[in-house]
Amino acid sequence: MTDQNKRIKDYFCKHTTRCTIEGVKKSKRFVGHDVLKADAWDKVTGEAVYPDDIFFDDLLYVKIKRAVHPHAILKDIDISQAKKVNGVVDIVIAEDIPDVRQFGLIIRDQPVLIAPGEKMRYMGDPLAIVVAETKEAAKKARDLIKVKVEELEVITDPFRAMEDDAPDIHPDGNIVITHHLNRGDVDEAFKNSAIVEENRYQTQFIDQLPMQNEAGVALYDERRGVVNIWAATQWLHDTQADVAQSLRLSKDQIRIIQPTIGGAFGKKEDVSVHIHLAIAAMRTGRPVKLCFTREESMITQSKRHPITIINKTGVDRDGYLTAWETKFIGDTGAYASSGPAVVHKGMYHATGPYNCPNLRGVSHAVYTNNTYAGAMRGFGTAQGAFAYEQQMDILAEKLSIDPAEFRLKNIYQKDSITPNGQQLTHSVNAEETIKRVMELSDWKGGRK
Amino acid sequence: MQITFTVNGEERELEVTPYTRLLDLLREDLGLTGVKEGCGKGECGACTVIMNGELTASCLVPAPQADQAEILTVEGLGTRDDLHPIQESFVEAGAVQCGYCIPGMILAGKRLLDENPEPTEKEVRYGLSGNICRCTGYAKIIDAVMLAADKLAVEGSDSSD
Repeated sequence: MTDQNKRIKDYFCKHTTRCTIEGVKKSKRFVGHDVLKADAWDKVTGEAVYPDDIFFDDLLYVKIKRAVHPHAILKDIDISQAKKVNGVVDIVIAEDIPDVRQFGLIIRDQPVLIAPGEKMRYMGDPLAIVVAETKEAAKKARDLIKVKVEELEVITDPFRAMEDDAPDIHPDGNIVITHHLNRGDVDEAFKNSAIVEENRYQTQFIDQLPMQNEAGVALYDERRGVVNIWAATQWLHDTQADVAQSLRLSKDQIRIIQPTIGGAFGKKEDVSVHIHLAIAAMRTGRPVKLCFTREESMITQSKRHPITIINKTGVDRDGYLTAWETKFIGDTGAYASSGPAVVHKGMYHATGPYNCPNLRGVSHAVYTNNTYAGAMRGFGTAQGAFAYEQQMDILAEKLSIDPAEFRLKNIYQKDSITPNGQQLTHSVNAEETIKRVMELSDWKGGRK
Repeated sequence: MQITFTVNGEERELEVTPYTRLLDLLREDLGLTGVKEGCGKGECGACTVIMNGELTASCLVPAPQADQAEILTVEGLGTRDDLHPIQESFVEAGAVQCGYCIPGMILAGKRLLDENPEPTEKEVRYGLSGNICRCTGYAKIIDAVMLAADKLAVEGSDSSD
């Protein structure tokens, strides 16, 4: 081995974890071996095919006319000027697709196109599908579509949405779903606590921002009666089922082919381009392509939920948590998406990795006219972490004890029971993790 | 209008409109889909090409501006069977996840190493600062460029033997 080659090896050992397993028992194929990613070669040469890299000779381009107001009744839509644009092949509005049904991950509350007399509920709501020979023609025609609306009160705050006099964004009211959590006697435990600390926390919208925007291509195979859709999705078969029911087709008539995905992080769990592509492909009989711009992706597709968390936490004189009461109000925006599950799950993690015998919680996922919120890494737990770790720091300060020691006292152990009643029977390394962090950071008790 | 330019060593002559972006010209007219669109605003680096020796966001360049230019895209760097050391390093360092930013990252890495064959980690970070990755957290991408620097140094010393 030359010196230079040795340098590379040394460098590798220092900078990756791969060499640290020497001496550890290796499995035959993968564990303890360098495994290079199978698709890395395609990706470093530019050969990997993402949805927007798929082309057909007679490809048509799709653009979507979207809402002009976050909360308004569509009074009239006029596509006469748009239709005159050179290169326009088809413009689809709601009246062209009367049989198409709503879609959605948990609750099917999202319309495929808004019809006159119906409401647009956020800026991403689709009003028309424009299909043209070129992107430019599609864009030009989209911008010539004229829309008349009757504006309604725009609700951007879930607390306003929950007030009695707030207009209903959906027919069944603005609270999508409520969940409760109850264990032990919270009131009695607060009474007997040395310190009770109540605080309100607010997190914000975050876009998952995968590098690749939503994009796809569709081709209708008329002889087989099958719509082929090449589009990134995280839940291939759920998307297939949702697209099929929306178009009143059987599942085997919707074939979703997953190309390489340019990131997702939860954002691509929801239907995006799929149904509009299928409609355009079936009506034109030609391959069609729809790629969102970054702005369109930001306005139209899901976000991390902003959650208001109200935590009331009690401790005894020895620094053990006694009771925890929590409220999670999640702004799920105009549509439910994964919201009912995200906000619920967030509440179940309200106490983080800390033992607490008495618990009471309520969570509401609430409709507003904001862009809808759905799945993002952590699925509701990241928001909760911000709130419970702040509580722990504040309580440690009030108790005048080291915040790390305070955490160690309360940390999950094997056999701890989580708020939703799960007993942790193995792999509970939280205490070890804190101790290791204290050691590595040369922890001095957190004092200035 | 007609433009003439060199892409990955090959001279091309094409008819373009004034509003065609270099990005679309490369992807749609020449089929070089290794050039990616992330933001369309020159912020994310996914559409990076090397134009006349400089890192360039191809989404911000009107195609007519590419007249007489020399352009390198990731496709011109190496092939599957004959990877450029930078591409090889990205594979070996585990720097590739979703891969959408990788063509731009690789070209940014190449541009850096062309000018500065022995960069410090700080210089690598600076060299990649125009390119956003949302999967990796950058650590392994930085590793890959450092590794590529070592590989290229070895290649250089081998050829001088």
